[in-house]
Amino acid sequence: MVMEDLLGKTFDEFPMQTDWDAIIIGAGPNGLMTGAYLAKAGARVAVIERRYEIGGGLATEEVLFPCYYSNIHAIYHMMVDYMPAVQDFDLDRHAITWIKPNLQTGMVFEDGSSLLMTRMVEDTVDSMHKFSHKDAVAYGRLIRHWNKMMSDILGPATYLPPVASVDLMVALQRTEIGRELLEVNERSPYDLITSHFENEKIRALLLYSACMWGLDPNETGVGLFVPLLLTRAMSKAYCHGGSHKLAGALAREILRNGGVILEAAQVNKINTQNGNVTGVELWEGRTLNAKVVISSLDPHSTFYDLIGKDKLPKSMDNAFENWLYDKWSYYTLHTVSKEQPKYKCDDPWVNESFMTVFGFENEQDVVAHWKNVMAGKLDKKFGGHATCESFWDEHLVRGPKPAEISFFQMHAPYDIEGGWDKKSGELQEEVLAKWEKVAPNMNRDNIMMTMAETPKDIEIRLPNMRRGGIKHGDYTPMQLGFNRPNIECSSSNTPIGGLYLCGASNYPGGMVTGGPGYIAANKVAEDMGLQKWWKPTPLMDRYLKTYFG
Amino acid sequence: MNKEEKFDFVIVGGGPNGVTLAAYLSKCGASVCVLEERPEAGGGCENTEPIAGVRINPHAMFLYGGAAPGFDQLELWRYGFRGQPNRLGDLTEDVGRGCPTTSGNYPISDIDQMGYAKVSGLLGQPPFIRELLRATFWCPPHPPEVEVTAHNIPYMQVYKKHQPDVWSEELLEMDMFDLMDEYLDTEPFKVQQAVISWYSGAAGHWKGVAIPAWMCNVALVIYSRMTVPRGGMHDYFHAVMRCAVAHGTVVRTCCKVEEIMINDGVAVGVRMADTATCGEKKIWAKKAVISGVDVRQTFNKLVGPQHVDRGLLQKVNDISLKGGSIYVSHILSREPLKVKDKFPGMVGGCYPMDHRDIYYDHVADVDGRKGNPSIPPERAMWLSTPYERFDWSDPQVSRPEGHIMSPIYHLVPPPEYHVDGPDAMNKWKDGMWDYVVKSMSEVYTNLNSDNVIAHWANSPYDSTFRNTGLIGGTWCGTRHCDDQWGERRPIPELARYRTPIDGLYLCNQTACHPGGLFLMAIPYNLMHIMIEDGLVEPGEWWYPSPWYIPEQGKNPAKRQ
Repeated sequence: MVMEDLLGKTFDEFPMQTDWDAIIIGAGPNGLMTGAYLAKAGARVAVIERRYEIGGGLATEEVLFPCYYSNIHAIYHMMVDYMPAVQDFDLDRHAITWIKPNLQTGMVFEDGSSLLMTRMVEDTVDSMHKFSHKDAVAYGRLIRHWNKMMSDILGPATYLPPVASVDLMVALQRTEIGRELLEVNERSPYDLITSHFENEKIRALLLYSACMWGLDPNETGVGLFVPLLLTRAMSKAYCHGGSHKLAGALAREILRNGGVILEAAQVNKINTQNGNVTGVELWEGRTLNAKVVISSLDPHSTFYDLIGKDKLPKSMDNAFENWLYDKWSYYTLHTVSKEQPKYKCDDPWVNESFMTVFGFENEQDVVAHWKNVMAGKLDKKFGGHATCESFWDEHLVRGPKPAEISFFQMHAPYDIEGGWDKKSGELQEEVLAKWEKVAPNMNRDNIMMTMAETPKDIEIRLPNMRRGGIKHGDYTPMQLGFNRPNIECSSSNTPIGGLYLCGASNYPGGMVTGGPGYIAANKVAEDMGLQKWWKPTPLMDRYLKTYFG
Repeated sequence: MNKEEKFDFVIVGGGPNGVTLAAYLSKCGASVCVLEERPEAGGGCENTEPIAGVRINPHAMFLYGGAAPGFDQLELWRYGFRGQPNRLGDLTEDVGRGCPTTSGNYPISDIDQMGYAKVSGLLGQPPFIRELLRATFWCPPHPPEVEVTAHNIPYMQVYKKHQPDVWSEELLEMDMFDLMDEYLDTEPFKVQQAVISWYSGAAGHWKGVAIPAWMCNVALVIYSRMTVPRGGMHDYFHAVMRCAVAHGTVVRTCCKVEEIMINDGVAVGVRMADTATCGEKKIWAKKAVISGVDVRQTFNKLVGPQHVDRGLLQKVNDISLKGGSIYVSHILSREPLKVKDKFPGMVGGCYPMDHRDIYYDHVADVDGRKGNPSIPPERAMWLSTPYERFDWSDPQVSRPEGHIMSPIYHLVPPPEYHVDGPDAMNKWKDGMWDYVVKSMSEVYTNLNSDNVIAHWANSPYDSTFRNTGLIGGTWCGTRHCDDQWGERRPIPELARYRTPIDGLYLCNQTACHPGGLFLMAIPYNLMHIMIEDGLVEPGEWWYPSPWYIPEQGKNPAKRQ
């Protein structure tokens, strides 16, 4: 019995060959961002995603199966105040709201003391006074400067194409805050923090907050990231309903404007002809044709796996041989417990903080953990941060109550002594023991379910996060700014006609800023001759006028 | 957020039925808002990845709705719909293997094959299987003034026209076993068909619904060719939702509706829960509110007992949920599960199919005794689906190591009828895991602790929390028995999707003919009613069911 003969055609499927104005590879925050801007500008856009669900790191999923959702990747949205998409797309319409608690980070110590980092400066200062008047006063003064660096320069520059460092240095000379930033940039995070602050606990909080997204404490020439990341650490926002809501909203903007999104669709090849792209081929056999292909993937995936080394221009022969992936990744333990973690410390307010840091008693502990990670090992003296997600979002609990969903996360190496298969289980016990020490109710009676996610797992779930690196490439001076991922491929460009980049391996890097996606949308719209329906934000305008006008 | 929000239609619940209706309505040019309380829309069409690189199917896995008019009316291909038919050959191979019984694979006879083909509409000239499916599922119930007879029931009309010797008045009295005793020959084959139907929400032992139950089986096995949508059922749902969004539907997740607002007997909008992520607490509906939520919750919670008469409320609360609560297991193993030698070529399926007594034992256990399983595991019935049967370019396991068997179904009592309380199965999950392993080890040789990397289970009780539309933890919400089917689904007073409240319509599998399976049938059928009520005017793309009978005094839902 041959069914085709008997039944005829049952249902139509997406065609084997289709034509588009632009194809975007990867439906993470940046791919969706680029797609949403271009689709609304009138381009016929197809977004292609390997996973069965869009969002990339914007994933709110039922990993604690059954019944409990978790933000398995990005949870702290730190650039909401600067992201142009918030205004441009009227995200309200999709019921997007961010919660930005004043109490951002609590840090608890073995002796029962605690420190707070808040959105409003004075609450942090009050907390620091417990340990050092000098540091508290210094923080109050310093953070004003650093906030200004953020709002005047670093924030708006996140959404503008990178500038060659020579030009940037000249431009920043124009203002006092610009000159200050240039000075800061010469120094290492460790040097900056320890030169301004004397108390070891305050140093620990600030150093961890500055370096938790992967800045090497001792790396020089990346100092501008200290004010950038510290002010971001004060501006963490939670997307109510989960991070994935942002992905859903951007996707709907693409669809409303005639775009299509294909999931469970792996791109096997970017087709090229005479040095120009002509489209992509999917593993399942479908071909999508377009003169513009925009990749949000890491450089190895885009250039070696999808284009192919033989198709690259001579100048790019060894372009990414020395590309450095992050030297660290995350180990995360997700939990469901009957009660939320209750930290035993001198300030009950800690229990309402968005993030709670523990395991570090001083700045040397932070550095020691970092060194261990670099050396591919972990000892008992690790530390990290935890968040009780359900405290902020009742939508995550879809099972019998009481139930609270939390996670603990720490820096971890991709290659670990003994291998992750063995280490993951051991580490889970160590994490739970350490957690229970600071929050005594996080014991076996309270915890109902756990799920550990190792660096290997990150790479399996999201393969372009190679080696579990969440930013598609390390933050080193040679891989930052105009150099990201290299000079030829800076500013979303590539030497291949019609091929653009819009992912975290481009300026300004990772972390759900939407920056690479926004910058690529601008570049592609200009090259395609599309009319831009959006305008830079007032902060971006002011920055351009001040430094480049 | 706008201070005053008004849409033509507000749909409560972003499951497959609500969102398919949104696609239809917005394609007609109406403004539509869908409100979903979970972080992700899709209802029972869901997939998740509980550990990195392992995708599981908590509920549905297969496409049943291949014959749906929705595929062309909504042009789902345009929105990325892709299927992947069973790649291990077509039915010929399955038929060749026979049915798994305790003594091994049992052969299927020529009489079985011819009988199956005949009742399924494959022997007509030309074959009329699609017509038969559409008549069964894709036609609204007849209006109350029409007397329903063996002559005007749509599927009966189709038999009469194409295969008159199958048509008889008695057909409407039969259950599936009666029908099979007339047309088939081999007991294990009959049991297998009944079991497939039962797992599909239409049991083989319910009197009077032999053909609808049969057609659930045919819709899956023959017409939709055991297709798994690419990316899982959730990505099939995505195609529908994207059609809706492309036509302007506003979909909001994490927006729980607390109340359907009734003003002088008319539904005028909804009030959101305080926890909802959208700021506006009231959303007004200019034309209608549609409940895509289960029928009990609709009247008891959203509308509220004060707006419903006590008699109707009692009937709503009496609607039976028995008949298909499924305990779903998912097993990740190092090596693929291997079958014993007596099951050559078997790659999942249902077991043991020896005799209908085993089937009836399960009816007694699940819906009669209503406790934890008392049938010895070696006689326990189950159904398994190894994903390796399907497209290798959409792998369900992308870890370097591992093979997934998901879903695995065991029928258990619905939680609210469980004699030991609704959470009894949840308290017994470890015991149930042993039971699952023992029952499956009758077929598989290597289901042991060395081979199992991880396993998960969602019980019917879990389902009722995760997914309020799956009341009773069943696939289809409410029983598709003769008392709750067609012109009587869920109760005669509500059978044509209208409610005693003006401007409130029902669009959920628990409340509407033809029930579950994500056939896109309820929204299609409901469209007839909404056109009758003058709420929408579809364009050229619309065609009504050929068997549809307009209600007197209403605007007929014919093509303009």
